[in-house]
Amino acid sequence: MAKKALNYAYYPGCAAKQIQKEADWSARAISEKMGITLHDMPKATCCGAGNLQEHDPAAGLAVCARIFSQAEEMGMDICTICNTCLQTFTFANERLKNEPELLEKINAVLSKAGVRPYMGTIDVKHLIWVMVDDLGIEEVKKHVEKPLNGLKVAPFYGCHALRPYEVFNGRGGQSPQYLDTIIGAIGGESVDYNGKDKCCGFHTMLVQEDTFLKMSGGHSLEAKREGAEIMVSPCTLCDMALGAYQARSEKYLGQKIDLPEMSISQLVGTAFGLDHKKLGFNRLHQNPEKVFKSRGVA
Amino acid sequence: MADTKKVTFRVQRGETVQGQYASRVEEFEVEYGRSTTVLQALEGIKADQDGSLTFRRSCCASICGSCGMVINNRSRLACKTKVRELVEGIPEKNLQGSDVIEIAPQKNQPVIKDLAVDISEFYQKVDKIDPYVQEGKEADKQVTKSSFEQVNMVSNCIMCGCCYSDCTEMVESPDFLGPAALAKAFRFVADPREGHKTERLQELSEKNGIWDCTRCGMCVDACPKDVAPMEAITKLRTRAMEAGVTDNPGARHAIAFKNDIAKGGMLNEPMLLLKTLGVAGAVGQLGNALHLAKKGKIPSIFPHKVDDVHEVESIFKELDANPIEVETKQEDTGPGAG
Repeated sequence: MAKKALNYAYYPGCAAKQIQKEADWSARAISEKMGITLHDMPKATCCGAGNLQEHDPAAGLAVCARIFSQAEEMGMDICTICNTCLQTFTFANERLKNEPELLEKINAVLSKAGVRPYMGTIDVKHLIWVMVDDLGIEEVKKHVEKPLNGLKVAPFYGCHALRPYEVFNGRGGQSPQYLDTIIGAIGGESVDYNGKDKCCGFHTMLVQEDTFLKMSGGHSLEAKREGAEIMVSPCTLCDMALGAYQARSEKYLGQKIDLPEMSISQLVGTAFGLDHKKLGFNRLHQNPEKVFKSRGVA
Repeated sequence: MADTKKVTFRVQRGETVQGQYASRVEEFEVEYGRSTTVLQALEGIKADQDGSLTFRRSCCASICGSCGMVINNRSRLACKTKVRELVEGIPEKNLQGSDVIEIAPQKNQPVIKDLAVDISEFYQKVDKIDPYVQEGKEADKQVTKSSFEQVNMVSNCIMCGCCYSDCTEMVESPDFLGPAALAKAFRFVADPREGHKTERLQELSEKNGIWDCTRCGMCVDACPKDVAPMEAITKLRTRAMEAGVTDNPGARHAIAFKNDIAKGGMLNEPMLLLKTLGVAGAVGQLGNALHLAKKGKIPSIFPHKVDDVHEVESIFKELDANPIEVETKQEDTGPGAG
């Protein structure tokens, strides 16, 4: 049977285009290796991240519909690497697909602004869903050149790919498996810990920094206590909270954490034998090289 | 009972003595059939195995809200949760089956004994938002049936505390008002008869109010009555900004997005910080900025402009000129509906 062509309208999100560039680089690198083609969306704006949707709900829906329309024109589903983009899009798409009158109203606004209307036909997926559901985990395994040799990996799922479970059509929910499946496929061992499906605190970072630092640092400490050698997340914002801000949590908590954190794409890229520089390891605040070497994943 | 199976209940028991909580885990083997609820199983344990097992219950029909407890790591009503579903899993909720049923008291509240927690703080917070319609100059004289499409959902709250127990913000910030109290506050802000809508929104925008929610969604999944507290909090934020209550970091942050999207398409992250926190606040972020800069994580103040961004400006202009109503609504599904 001929293999299905895997083409997606790629939406990395603002964080991956600016602060968390390594998530974008590694997502592109592993996708290329797996034969998943990510097509740029040059007209796509910020999704609104729930913030625009709170400030101006109608504008929030219209901005999302404009982006969906671009993907629809490309004939592809959207693939993203940011949970907040995933949830913001999913909320909007769910309504636009199920409320015909609302879709009609939003399309009237798009048309007046010279934008192609949205027909309600696309799906929005995370790259980890694409890897497991569309490509298949056996295909992922075929590209593993440097298996992780039982490396203990703490998956951090991120709220906005899990809840509310109703909108994610069985892909979110209370027993998330995507990260665990991928970690197992590349030779790692998943660490179970209470915080794995809780909140990194990113969205309160600017409103209440102390709570945020306690929240994110607490999850890292717990994962480490449960034996994790490294933590991964599918979300660029969780990456920022748990990785880039880890030293800030340490300072606030007065306690060393020292748990390398990276995007799931960077970990998969490592197992695929890709160049660590290409995967953006130099942009990580905790150097993971020692951990990989100790497991013979050089 | 034909067709019964056996499963282990692992119950966290304990009590608080002189302010000190001491807990232990005890296992009980329980028989269950097709429709046995967790509450019925606990009643069975209490009747046949250990009469000292303590838990609250009353109506057995998810109306009274007494039997909220942590069941397999999530806060649920024991009377509404079937043992069989926990063992076999619930595919549509992506809940995997489990050989052992773990029962624990609700979180974020002190334990009195076994599964009974002290709910006084939960109630004090609900009380804090003045849970009644107040007379005042913003009260509408006419009430249409459709105006209740906003409050129906929230009126279903049975005060079981499941959302409060699973709230991730509450763990680190115990003074947070919490999902139930904020959902209740929305019920009054959205009520046309309420006379102090703006004043309420001002109070709710202060510390420990609507802007402290992490938007993690745990409360939406936890609620046994589909109240969706997070959605109510989101709507409170929208109404607060509409009412001009914008002099706080949460509102300033939310408002900054629209301008960035209209101007260049992408977020201008350094400017977002400045707009949210003001100059003094942004200076306070210098430590964080220098830390991020070590790894080149300082975004440009001139982000890349996306193609055809003028379309977005036209969309916003069109919506300003001809606003459209998009708020979600809920029909009355409660007792006495219709």
